[in-house]
Amino acid sequence: MRPGKAVASFDSATGMLRALSRFLHDKDVPLIGQGPAAVEPAMSALLGAAGRLPRALQEKAYAVSGWAEAVPLRRVAEIRSEELARWVTGHYPRRRYPVAFVGSSNGALTHLAAAVSAPWLPQTLLLPVRRHGVHPDDPRGDLEATRRAGRALLDANPDLVLHHMHDANQDRLMIAGMTYFRVKWRRLPRAYARFLEESLEPGATLVVVECGLRWPSTRVGPRHVFQHGALGGATPEEYEHGGPRVADYLRRYGSPRRAWDYPPADGERPEAEWGFEPELLGDLEELAGRNGWRLARLRFGEPEDLSPAVADLHRSWHEDRGLPADRLLVECFLLLEPWWALRSGSAPFWTVFNTEASHARLRSYLDAADPYDEIRLVLFSHGVDSVGLAPIDAWRELLARARKVGVFTGVDTRAYPRDFAVLARAHRELARIRTTYPMPLPMEWARAEEFLGKREELELRTG
Amino acid sequence: MPLEQLVHIVSGTAMISRRRRGPGPAVVCVHGAGVSGREMLPFVRELGATHDAWAVDLPGFGRSEKPSAPPTLAGLSDAVAAWLEEAGLERACLLGGSFGCQVAVDVAVRHPDRVTALVLTGPTVDPLGRSPVRLAAQWLRNSVHESPRMAPLNVADYVDAGPRRVLASFGVSMRDRVEDKLPYVAVPALVVRGGRDAMVPQAWAEEVTRLLPRGRLVVMEGLPHMVPYRDPRGLARVVAGFLEEVAA
Repeated sequence: MRPGKAVASFDSATGMLRALSRFLHDKDVPLIGQGPAAVEPAMSALLGAAGRLPRALQEKAYAVSGWAEAVPLRRVAEIRSEELARWVTGHYPRRRYPVAFVGSSNGALTHLAAAVSAPWLPQTLLLPVRRHGVHPDDPRGDLEATRRAGRALLDANPDLVLHHMHDANQDRLMIAGMTYFRVKWRRLPRAYARFLEESLEPGATLVVVECGLRWPSTRVGPRHVFQHGALGGATPEEYEHGGPRVADYLRRYGSPRRAWDYPPADGERPEAEWGFEPELLGDLEELAGRNGWRLARLRFGEPEDLSPAVADLHRSWHEDRGLPADRLLVECFLLLEPWWALRSGSAPFWTVFNTEASHARLRSYLDAADPYDEIRLVLFSHGVDSVGLAPIDAWRELLARARKVGVFTGVDTRAYPRDFAVLARAHRELARIRTTYPMPLPMEWARAEEFLGKREELELRTG
Repeated sequence: MPLEQLVHIVSGTAMISRRRRGPGPAVVCVHGAGVSGREMLPFVRELGATHDAWAVDLPGFGRSEKPSAPPTLAGLSDAVAAWLEEAGLERACLLGGSFGCQVAVDVAVRHPDRVTALVLTGPTVDPLGRSPVRLAAQWLRNSVHESPRMAPLNVADYVDAGPRRVLASFGVSMRDRVEDKLPYVAVPALVVRGGRDAMVPQAWAEEVTRLLPRGRLVVMEGLPHMVPYRDPRGLARVVAGFLEEVAA
């Protein structure tokens, strides 16, 4: 099974890997890194037209696109973790780096790594797996249908932990014909170790990115857990026990249920998509020690904890370079543009998703920050009027905080959250921005380390 | 509600204006190239409910008298400044539509004591599109989104002005480097762009706002170039809100 085929294209980790590796190749990210800029106008028109289809057809098309890139159930056991790791490292240009990152996926980290011109190796990848005959609101059915495939995957790959994730709130359309296997490396794959040894300078810093987010889950077997929902608009309690918002949501989608019925949770474990599995730490410490690298641990509680610090770091950097430092680029999920953030002199603020919680995070950042003249907002659309979705007017309200220009970038506000054209239009519109600046030389890691080390919401320890 | 029609003699030329006199401060609409205040009248009717709203025909256009010389930008903006005095408006907010924005900016820079604020709806001309071919292409792409009811008004305006003056006004619009003047506009300025305006690309509307020291951008989604004609009520709300902020 070719690793590029096994891994989801439309996922946070892959999106971040593409955005960062393209940046290190001095490229921007048209079509979320999935196609050449030349076909962007056509894709934009095509996806825009798809946005005018009847809603049922749109949802079907979205579901089919997910199904199409998922791995057939019987082929899951053919996936090899070592090949996945080689596929990851193959994205990056071969050269010497003074710093490298390993660990949790994080959009703010993508910008941080781009700023210091360093690679990031994800601990977690998403393997979408096809299965049929399971209602999206039937988590137990989902587990039963794919349990054996999961077991086979783990038997073939002893270095992986499998977090099977079921989120009928945000992934409702996607999980119609597939399910989410998120795998985490608990041991450092050889391809990662080799890449780091070949690319890190003597005395370099290896930064372990550790998001401490944990989530209720059920142990299925050794190294195999089933996660109840995911970080987003609904709370862990709502996934577990339901509630008025969940009942209302299920009613709106014509579901026969009024709450989800997960197998009993037996603990909290690292969140499937964002959380760091600490077992990997041992191998990283050993590797760093053997090669004489400094090992730094960047720890934070939730994904968006890193966003204000990275935005402020960029702002202070732009100021020192004599730029106006008056632009904020707010990005969402896998829609990331490190190349254009630097070109346009923008501070990047990453939101994990289009939810009320992310909206509140951005609001509190804007409350505390010196006002920005320009705020651009890129919003991801997942096709579902899910629990906890922040409505377009709420985002508009935050854009009004800009002193001069507060605009959606590439977003069709009337189609949101079924605005699939944003995948093409976000880059297209951003790339038209006037008043741009020369690409800066990479930021010294020492500067970033000192800046982040002072932030209360983060913990950065070296040694 | 019928509008008042007024005549003022400015440097020997009769200038026609229409007005609906609401209680709020004065807002004077300045029309685009080749056309007249006609396209602004629905907006004047709306805004006039709350503000002292005017639409003026520039010399040579609409019902105003035709000077013998072809129009120049400075000539048109001087005429607006002098008209303001004749009309008894010591100072006013100028609202430009399309090329009218260029006139309004010129007034704000060269006669700053006459202007309290600017509203620039669909400000032309994007320096990257400053060629007759590109402008014509943009105009065509935009026209499909405009109200079909506006076309007869445009035709009447072109007949009033005559083809030579219409073409001359397009030339004036294209030659004017409005981007060089925007940094000298001292008053608060609201830039309004229709979300589907093909003549004013989003990036240019943002650049206009950026260059204005006290600029702010509002994008009115789904609307074409001629926002005042297409959504007079929506624009009146936006303008009223802006003027309230300015007054505070």
